[in-house]
Amino acid sequence: MSTLEESHSRSLLHRYRNEVGLLIAITVVAAFTTLMDPAYREKPIQNLQELLRQSSLIGIFALGAALVIISGGIDLSSGSVIAFSGVVCSSIMLLLAPVSLGDDAPKPLSLAVLAAAILGAMFVAFLIGTLHAWLITVVRLPPFVATLASLVGLRSLARILVPQINVAQHARKAAAMLAAGITDDDSSKAVSKLLEAYDPRFRQLGSTWWIPLAIFVVLIVAMWLLLSKTVIGRHLYALGGNEQAARLSGIRTDRLKWLAYVIGAMTASLAGVLYCSEVASADPETAGRGYELTAIAAAVVGGCSLQGGIGTVPGVVLGVLFLRVVIDAVAKLFKGGTADDFEGMIVGFLVVLAVAFNELRQSRGGRRIEFFPGALGALTILILAGLTGLLAALTVSARAGYTAGGVVLAGLVIARILKRRRATSPTPASEQG
Amino acid sequence: MEAPAPVTSATSGAAPLIAVDRVTKRYPGVIALNDVSLNILPGELHAICGENGAGKSTLMKILAGVIPDYEGEIRLRGAALRFGDTRAAEAAGVAIIHQELNLVEELSAAANIFLGRELTTAWGLLDERGMNARARELLLSLECDVAPQARAGSLRVGDQQLIEIAKALSFDTDILIMDEPTSALTETEVARLFRVIARLRARGVTILYISHKMDEVFQLADRVTVLRDGKWVSTLERTATNAREITHLMVGREIEATQFTEPRRPGEVVLEVNRLSLAWPGHAKAWRLRDVSFQLRRGEVLGFAGLMGAGRTELLECLFGASQVPPQGRIVLSGHEVNFFQPVEAMKAGVAMVTEDRKRLGLFAQFDVGQNVSICTLDRVASGGMISAAAEERMARASVARLGVKTAGLSAAITSLSGGNQQKTIIARWLLTEPKVLLLDDPTRGIDVGAKAELYRVIDGLCREGLGVIVTSSELPELLTLCDRILVLCEGRLTGEFTRDEATEQKIMEAATQREVGGRKSEVGSGSHSGGN
Repeated sequence: MSTLEESHSRSLLHRYRNEVGLLIAITVVAAFTTLMDPAYREKPIQNLQELLRQSSLIGIFALGAALVIISGGIDLSSGSVIAFSGVVCSSIMLLLAPVSLGDDAPKPLSLAVLAAAILGAMFVAFLIGTLHAWLITVVRLPPFVATLASLVGLRSLARILVPQINVAQHARKAAAMLAAGITDDDSSKAVSKLLEAYDPRFRQLGSTWWIPLAIFVVLIVAMWLLLSKTVIGRHLYALGGNEQAARLSGIRTDRLKWLAYVIGAMTASLAGVLYCSEVASADPETAGRGYELTAIAAAVVGGCSLQGGIGTVPGVVLGVLFLRVVIDAVAKLFKGGTADDFEGMIVGFLVVLAVAFNELRQSRGGRRIEFFPGALGALTILILAGLTGLLAALTVSARAGYTAGGVVLAGLVIARILKRRRATSPTPASEQG
Repeated sequence: MEAPAPVTSATSGAAPLIAVDRVTKRYPGVIALNDVSLNILPGELHAICGENGAGKSTLMKILAGVIPDYEGEIRLRGAALRFGDTRAAEAAGVAIIHQELNLVEELSAAANIFLGRELTTAWGLLDERGMNARARELLLSLECDVAPQARAGSLRVGDQQLIEIAKALSFDTDILIMDEPTSALTETEVARLFRVIARLRARGVTILYISHKMDEVFQLADRVTVLRDGKWVSTLERTATNAREITHLMVGREIEATQFTEPRRPGEVVLEVNRLSLAWPGHAKAWRLRDVSFQLRRGEVLGFAGLMGAGRTELLECLFGASQVPPQGRIVLSGHEVNFFQPVEAMKAGVAMVTEDRKRLGLFAQFDVGQNVSICTLDRVASGGMISAAAEERMARASVARLGVKTAGLSAAITSLSGGNQQKTIIARWLLTEPKVLLLDDPTRGIDVGAKAELYRVIDGLCREGLGVIVTSSELPELLTLCDRILVLCEGRLTGEFTRDEATEQKIMEAATQREVGGRKSEVGSGSHSGGN
């Protein structure tokens, strides 16, 4: 019996090793940043709040992306859904707002208008998710293609939409002024390519630190219940793990996919509304650009398998936190750019690392991998050394660049030579007996 | 305790072609091969027997360079060597035909044969003509008359296997490893394969033959090595042993031939199928199934025999609502006409199906045993959509116990179970849906002897509890053991019906190959009618 319990507790640790590992990694990175950077020590509360707010904004749609990944699909559209939702939300607010005459500040919007704007954005996302599900389950497009089309198409649609909304708004204003007998000297100005959303109450949504966090926490609980406690959740894992077997086990796979893509789009839309509120405008050009990969990266770093069927809500949450902590740390420690500049690089690096780590863990016990074989390996050594040197040069100094590049180059070359020598030297097994 | 006799006295004079010396292969938590030593003599056909998990395939993969890291030593013609990959093994003249074939389906037969060693012209371009000619020659020498240009994926399994053999021959293989080569073949294809093997042996090719089918082993082998739980048990001359002894060595216990002497008493008709047809869109033959009619009673086991491609799987898929296109005809289940578009509808109406390809269509590898059992009936242990963990466990435990699944527990990984127990897990899953009709598509495929007998008893027990059972199998003795009635399919048509007393392998094979004997005329007729071909 004791061995059974032992193996049970070991399997518990084994099951949550990903989460435990991430927790340790987050602590280490945060501690390191605190040690190295005075900003963390001087304003700990403010930094923590900012970190949580940023993480929550990413986390909200990362959870949706993770759900789609667990169900065996992929949603590449979230960045554009974020932009499009912001446009929908602010359009509704603009067009339902009472027209303000003259230059006096616009009146605060009524709660009904705010609710209509947010619900409208969510409803549009529901339609987007439904379209994805139709393309995937009925037309049988690969999820990659269906959502990639949305990624490109929705942003473009938003960009065409915004000037039209502004024109309509100008027309409304002009009509109201005419009715009031005021002449408009402003009508000749160029049509703006972004929509403004100044309303003070709306602005609070995304910029008060605890509101995104509260939404994120509610979503975490709901998603955790859904995935690990309900029939639907179990079926989603089954669908992601083995779609054919799921269908043959009497699971309505098409409905589940619909649910997954709708949740994926609606969480992105929620994040879109919050972003729009944070920056007080909907800019279809830049809003949410590249975020689809951030979400997928958080899911993957959090332990989701891109093959589907594997992943947990706590893992994804920790993945989001880890991603954000690292981005923050890099931005604080290296003054070469802003957090946004570093984000893509970190996301790329961590995704490669996470997936490679998973692959290596799975092939553990199999053959030992030679990392730099032949000409491919030789070139890769040069690439890695060059990349390290470039990064060091950009973030520290040119001299550090040469040093770091040289060290990496020398280290890898020596490792390769040693490995070669060991491989070619006769093994004791082949001696004749 | 068998007396160790690695090399028998009669042949000890010849130097071994391959010497396996104290080879051990460890995986995390498992020792797949434990200190195995074994000699293979030049020119012999050496059968390797053992239950699933005995280490047969691991040993063969080491010999063929698929697994490069292991402990111990392999000597080929006296020289120690270690293959880093299959190419190195091929260069040394060792080739392996895997149980699951390794063809690129989209490439032609010839392209597959020369894959990785393509012939080129003086200009460095592919020499298609040369490869096709050489491929044709190789295939003909193997009694295989498929066109070298034919797409590999479009061929029958038997022909695909011969392409793999042709590939092995194309690089002067003198040691050929065959891993359960007959597991997916029909009897005619098996006969052809055996003729090919005889021809290879006449050329002096040494063959390592993995199988757990005793009749094959005793028909082909010179010597037989038995492995059990990763350990070498015994190597015997075929002439000095018998099937009973080998089976005994494989399982470590005696297995009696299963016989269900007590007659079953079939009840009322539970399923009636009337002129069922299934179209085959985009295919030269317009129908996968044509006018199939039969009845199934409660408490009856009905068997479907037929060659590969006869439509057995498609028939079961129609009954389960899982066919690619909806079938035509009438299906009456307990007096009500039914028309299933999705498996979920069939499941709710009381039809259960255990699919042929366990790994691909049945198991959820990432789920544990309990979750694999409960997946179809979670609604029953959930309230308001929330699963009660305790109720789920109770339900799964009861079903696992009913079928006698051997597992370390409900939370054990499904992949840690043997093939037979995985199959029982899937049956346990379906029994929870309380089906009236149980469809079993080749339920013992890839399952070892001991587990088969157990599965037969399970099926017999379920039948006596009042289930109507339909079984298909590619092994006729299995159907003869299990079934009350056997129906025979040939190219989608019903060509024979036999009761248990009438049925013999001979009669069934005649019905299953009617196309080749009497069906010529109708074949020509349907061919002209479908046009093109």
